[in-house]
Amino acid sequence: MAIERVSPGVVRVVPNKLSVSERMYIPQVLAGMVLTLRHLVKNLFNMKGLPTISYPEVKRVYSERFRGRHILTTREDGTTRCVACYMCSTACPAECIKIEAGEDERTREKFPQRYEIDLLRCIFCGYCVDACPEDAIYMTRDYEMAIDTRARSVVGLRDLVVPPNFPVEPMGWRPYYGSIDKHGTAGGTGIGQPKREAPFADDAPLNPDLYRGA
Amino acid sequence: MSTLTKFSAIPYTGPAPTNRNPYIPSDVAVHDARGAALAEKLQHAAMQQETGQDLPTFIVEKSAIVNVLTVLRDHPELRFTMPLDCWGVDYPRREKRFDVLYQLYSLQNNERVRLKVMVGEDESIDSGINVFKGLDWFEREVWDMFGIRFDGHPNLRRILTHEAFQGHPLRKDYDPAQRWLLTEKDVAQLTPVIDDRFKDVDTDFERVTLNLGPSHPATHGTLRIVVTLDGETIIGADQEIGYLHRCFEKMSETHTYQQVIPFTDRLNYCSAIINNVGYCLTVEKLLGIEAPARAQHVRLMLSEFMRIADHLVCIGTNLVDMGALTNFWYLFQPREEIYGLIEACCGARLLPSYLRIGGLAVDVPTDFLQNAQRLVDMIPKYIDDVEKLVDRNKVFLDRVVGVAPISPEDAIAYGFTGPCLRACGVPFDVRKSNPYIGYETYDFDVPIAEGGDTYARYLVRMEEMRQSLRILQQAIDRGLPEGPVMVDNPYVALPPKEKVYNEMESLIYHFKLIMHGIQPPVGEAYFQVEGGNGELGFHVVSDGTKNPYRVRVRPPCFAIYQAFGKMITGQTIPDAVAALGSLNIIAGELDH
Repeated sequence: MAIERVSPGVVRVVPNKLSVSERMYIPQVLAGMVLTLRHLVKNLFNMKGLPTISYPEVKRVYSERFRGRHILTTREDGTTRCVACYMCSTACPAECIKIEAGEDERTREKFPQRYEIDLLRCIFCGYCVDACPEDAIYMTRDYEMAIDTRARSVVGLRDLVVPPNFPVEPMGWRPYYGSIDKHGTAGGTGIGQPKREAPFADDAPLNPDLYRGA
Repeated sequence: MSTLTKFSAIPYTGPAPTNRNPYIPSDVAVHDARGAALAEKLQHAAMQQETGQDLPTFIVEKSAIVNVLTVLRDHPELRFTMPLDCWGVDYPRREKRFDVLYQLYSLQNNERVRLKVMVGEDESIDSGINVFKGLDWFEREVWDMFGIRFDGHPNLRRILTHEAFQGHPLRKDYDPAQRWLLTEKDVAQLTPVIDDRFKDVDTDFERVTLNLGPSHPATHGTLRIVVTLDGETIIGADQEIGYLHRCFEKMSETHTYQQVIPFTDRLNYCSAIINNVGYCLTVEKLLGIEAPARAQHVRLMLSEFMRIADHLVCIGTNLVDMGALTNFWYLFQPREEIYGLIEACCGARLLPSYLRIGGLAVDVPTDFLQNAQRLVDMIPKYIDDVEKLVDRNKVFLDRVVGVAPISPEDAIAYGFTGPCLRACGVPFDVRKSNPYIGYETYDFDVPIAEGGDTYARYLVRMEEMRQSLRILQQAIDRGLPEGPVMVDNPYVALPPKEKVYNEMESLIYHFKLIMHGIQPPVGEAYFQVEGGNGELGFHVVSDGTKNPYRVRVRPPCFAIYQAFGKMITGQTIPDAVAALGSLNIIAGELDH
């Protein structure tokens, strides 16, 4: 195609006129085949440079902002960071988060008695992470979420809560990655929050789901 | 005042939004003066100027609308020949509850005008279809969504919803939780109107009516085309759409401004960031804020990358439909890399939701410019490869030259925009006519071609990708401006996270923004960007609350696809498939 200028800021694309050999078609087919063969030969000797990924064996590496399956982070004392403030479920455009809040009898703190995400409804926009004021919900780089029944698409605390000191390595979308050094754990930074040594030294945890972990 | 500023030392001292005050556009004086000049020129008794709008706006008496449209189209100094959009807004408490809005564009003067007609609940309005052919589907959409009848419309059927649907969903008193099931007996039985040229022609062939789609590999989406064939020639065609209708506009009314952004991703999913840009710029216009320079620069660069990706998909799949699979692989490789860049920015490939009202969700990664440069260096090779394979290929040329042509006059009357209009030789590009986010400072050309056929559309798209690469190279050379990527306004932008964790005030702003959302002033704003397929416009009406009162999207495909039936009449089925691919109909955008 040729380009000719019509006026400032406007160009006209002029189609080609075919030569005799091009109109005869066969030479052009061969020329096109040469291009394809060149790619084939080049790729044969450069198998490592191929863009194709043999998926189940080789997995694609995504960036550390990848918006995959969610997790709920845990404080170092083993309690979930989530305080059941409903911000994530309010910010969710797909209305896929359901929370039931409970109150801890001793500390009088709110915590989620139920926290369910419907992964089939979820559109993985990351708004829940942006909305969380407690550093409690992260998204991981886990994108393999195939399920065989609809009921299994709803994940609860048992699937979401990670143990304390969970490595930050597989994490995806989370607050201020990059600007603050977070090579430690995915347990939330907890900047400015008082650090508790143990949950409740004198008693067993209330909810094994909440206090499982290391 | 607040100390929410993360980057600058100047704390926010601007006013808190007083959202019950009306919205006043920044350039209102210009538009009011232009509107007065138009009124002076036309001296039309039925037109009354409405001031304080972001476009020259006239309130037109219902009975005179066809006359006004004709006058605006035919006036030798104005020549508003292009019907850009027609849509409705419902104000149930008003005496005449509906507004029907028209937006016309004059290629001659590069200006827009908006017309408003007030229509009562049981009233009907005259159809403008004889003035502008392109109003056909837009009027059908208004009928479907609001139940406003258009007298004289030849085919006033439902368009986005289905035949068994009851009620009109965009009315404010329609309960969105209702469900209507479509059974097989309710499916519209379409019999295309046979074109005049073939009406009384006697051939040896039996006439057959055939369904192409809704699930046909060549439609690349759920489109249904009913064609009547005479032998192999299409002698009549009709299109049925709405299979991917997701109630975008109704859903926007029940979500906050920020929550609409993921929905806009799903309009034209091949170039999702451009939709984000269009929507965010509209709401920012309504709020009277402007995103920081760094954010605008990233928006521009990603828009251009997305435009390239859009054209790559269009040309690649179009060639697959014609049996040239190799090109598909060559073109999808750079698209893959572009999605890799988007994913590095925001963590998702196809549906990024990267923008926020007031800027970007997060800053770009540190190696953004290097990656962008790598892409700009590698993409031309793939485009050149395809050009080598296709451009002088007699089989390809036989399939596309002269297929499904449309004349420039018809294209304008149908409201074509984007590459499909430029393929007719009309150099209309929103980036040039109404520059936004700094396009006026870039040196690029608008490619046009002659003929308006499938081949011309291919040529325009190929050249447009090269022009986009030119813009990108300039953008990379300029470098990213330093500074924040989000406006410094706690009523719009979420405060930085470390302040939310540590400061009471920031936490309160954070809670307020999530719970009560952004609350723009009362008013309406329209803004348009150049999408992959043409002018993508958003019209947002705010009533001062956290939810938009009305979000109207002007999908470019919608205007283009309504002409498809006329374009393929007289051609054959393989031609129709080639033409459909070259129009780049994206069902997500078409059905919104």
